[in-house]
Amino acid sequence: MREIKIALVGQPNVGKSHLINSISGATLHVGNFSGVTVEKKEVEFERGGFKLKLIDLPGTYSLHPYTPEEKVTKDFLINEEYDLILNVVDSNQLQKNLVFSWQVADLNKPMVIAFNMYDEYSRQGGEIGTNKFFKLTNIRAENVSAKENFGLEELFEKVIKTYEEKNTPRIYYSEIVEEEIENVKEKIKECRLDKRFISIRLLEDDEDIYKRIHEKPWYVELVSQLKSSKERIRIEYDEEDVKEIFFEERLALSKGIISQVAKKARRETLSEKIDKVLIHPILGLPIFLFVMWAIFQATFSLGAIPMDYISAAFSEFGNWVGGLLPNGVVRQAVVEGVIPAVGAVIMFLPNILILFLGINLLEQTGYMARAAYVMDGVLKRFGLQGRAFIPLVSGFGCSVPAYMAARTLKNPKDRLITMLVIGFMSCGARLPIYVLLVSAFFAPEIQGNVMFAIYIGGALTGLVVAKILRIVLFKGEPEPFVMELPKYRFPKLKALLFDLWVKTKMYIQKAGTFIALASLAVWFLSSFPRADIVKEYSVKIEQIKSSKFKVPSAEKKIAKLKEEMNRKILENSYIAHIGKLMEPITKPLDLGWREDVSLLAGLAAKETVVSTMAVLYGVGNSDETSKGLIKIIRKTMPFTAAVAMIIIVMFYSPCVAAMSTFYAEVPKWAWRIFYTIYPNVFAYFAAFITVSLIKLFS
Amino acid sequence: MRLNELNMGDSGIIKKIHAKEPLKSKLLSMGFARGEKVKVLKHTLAKNTFDIDINGVNVALRDEEAREIEVEKIEN
Repeated sequence: MREIKIALVGQPNVGKSHLINSISGATLHVGNFSGVTVEKKEVEFERGGFKLKLIDLPGTYSLHPYTPEEKVTKDFLINEEYDLILNVVDSNQLQKNLVFSWQVADLNKPMVIAFNMYDEYSRQGGEIGTNKFFKLTNIRAENVSAKENFGLEELFEKVIKTYEEKNTPRIYYSEIVEEEIENVKEKIKECRLDKRFISIRLLEDDEDIYKRIHEKPWYVELVSQLKSSKERIRIEYDEEDVKEIFFEERLALSKGIISQVAKKARRETLSEKIDKVLIHPILGLPIFLFVMWAIFQATFSLGAIPMDYISAAFSEFGNWVGGLLPNGVVRQAVVEGVIPAVGAVIMFLPNILILFLGINLLEQTGYMARAAYVMDGVLKRFGLQGRAFIPLVSGFGCSVPAYMAARTLKNPKDRLITMLVIGFMSCGARLPIYVLLVSAFFAPEIQGNVMFAIYIGGALTGLVVAKILRIVLFKGEPEPFVMELPKYRFPKLKALLFDLWVKTKMYIQKAGTFIALASLAVWFLSSFPRADIVKEYSVKIEQIKSSKFKVPSAEKKIAKLKEEMNRKILENSYIAHIGKLMEPITKPLDLGWREDVSLLAGLAAKETVVSTMAVLYGVGNSDETSKGLIKIIRKTMPFTAAVAMIIIVMFYSPCVAAMSTFYAEVPKWAWRIFYTIYPNVFAYFAAFITVSLIKLFS
Repeated sequence: MRLNELNMGDSGIIKKIHAKEPLKSKLLSMGFARGEKVKVLKHTLAKNTFDIDINGVNVALRDEEAREIEVEKIEN
């Protein structure tokens, strides 16, 4: 079967991802915020005897790239092999979108346009005549709605037809410009790219194209022609910047064609009305803070409801598995090591899902961009910009996508500063640790507020650190801030649920594999060496058992001895040695070796902090898992230690996965080393100061 | 007069984009071009950030960027 390789391009927020979902039947992540399609997605399907392969390119406003993602799209369009370009356009923003379409059309590749979101447009009274459009531009087009699933099949028919006919666009600029394009074109000899495309791009100062041809033998001759051509255009248009002239040409072209093919829609005013309230000069910020507060309240209070059931289910499961396995080390490892630890982690799944649901909702509805608008004034004061808000907020979900989201910041300094403080935004995996400590040490009425304070405190500290970094390490102008505020859209339940399902699957996979293994390792390290202790105690237990006098309290005594034995084993274990080595350092923070070891384990994955504590505090023996852990730490940990631990978790290095993402995104070793060391030093001193203050005032 | 001097609800016609590259291309791609009509829908309290309507597209930009756009105010 023949394959048609299709490059899918379009400006941000035109519903490209959603269009893909509507074809394949599988729903992927659909957001409303600029630049949600960061990774390269490919979709394959069969139509009319062809295999259609769509490559989803990052949303881009122009072929003069501004962000790294836009560069990805441009590089792909220029360098890669593909058969056809499918350009998705938002029908509601024809003028702006078509300016980009003409740039793409210059590539002189077979091209099809999808006028997406046509449902909205036609409801407002708009109409687009695609036949007329084809006659004027030689680009086949179809009115589609990815949301209401119409027009897609017709679109693919046109894709196949365009492919078979090798039908390329015919877009012409005004006479003088066309003449000069021709003059430049004559000087271009052999080249893989289309000659007309090269001459247009050279006329509008495209450096990427310059770089490609400046070593060609015909370059010198070309340059002198180019100079005189540009000069003529400049004089004719009375404008210095030829790039701007081309832009205006394309804008005029859009206007002309729109007036011929489209019936204008009534102005949509809903978004404006909503914005009157949501980004009100005075109310905007409090509303935003309230929204964030509500999300955290829901995360904590609603998420607590299923906890008891999950906890009970896991202890039942542990008992059941225990019954199946023969007595011995394996049974102990599974029942006391792995199951309670994994259970302690799974218990927090509801919290994490609610938090992610909140963040997704903000993204899908289009509020996230408004939040960036509202926050820009505040963030600017800290040397950041409104756009940095997205990676920062994503950091509350997971640092890994957050580091990648920082790519939307073009200026390397802005980007690095943002990335250096993303870790201070507490990620979802840290939530269980906070929930555990806060439930154990704070009154139920104030738990929600304490959680809110932890998140806001972390974020504010991050901002202050950003400011300090800006002043001390990075001087210079911050990046410009120009951001589209997309229309408000109703969130799509299917997309929301799919995303939650992916997160759940990932979390459970992580709990089932990585965390299970880690807790097995922790269990082993904390259960051995033990031969001598076991011997000593089994003698004692045997004595009681074989004693001729039936003491009524024998059972109790044996249980007590066993507990004592377990404690002794733990205190002599390998892990205790590691923890004790660290004890002198963390002594001023009132942290014991169990906490030290748990925090160390947290460098592998934050989820393992709670599971490690569960193993080290020996809750595997108790009836319940996390509920039991809460009871035990409430008894054994001092309040100051809990606070110190919370603060360290807020600020110290994120997990290995996040750290390796940072390394991948930041090539400079100096910054990598700085990033690896400074959060830990910062965390230590922040905890130390807080603990000292608590002691001073109590 | 510059775009950042307009008040909430004011409209203007763009006369010139003074910005340097790459900001200029960015502004152009958002639709800020000579002869186009802009309207200040909203700005933050301290006039740090502006919400501008340009041909039905909502664009947020800062005082610094708005200053780069020369406009002529349309009197209502």
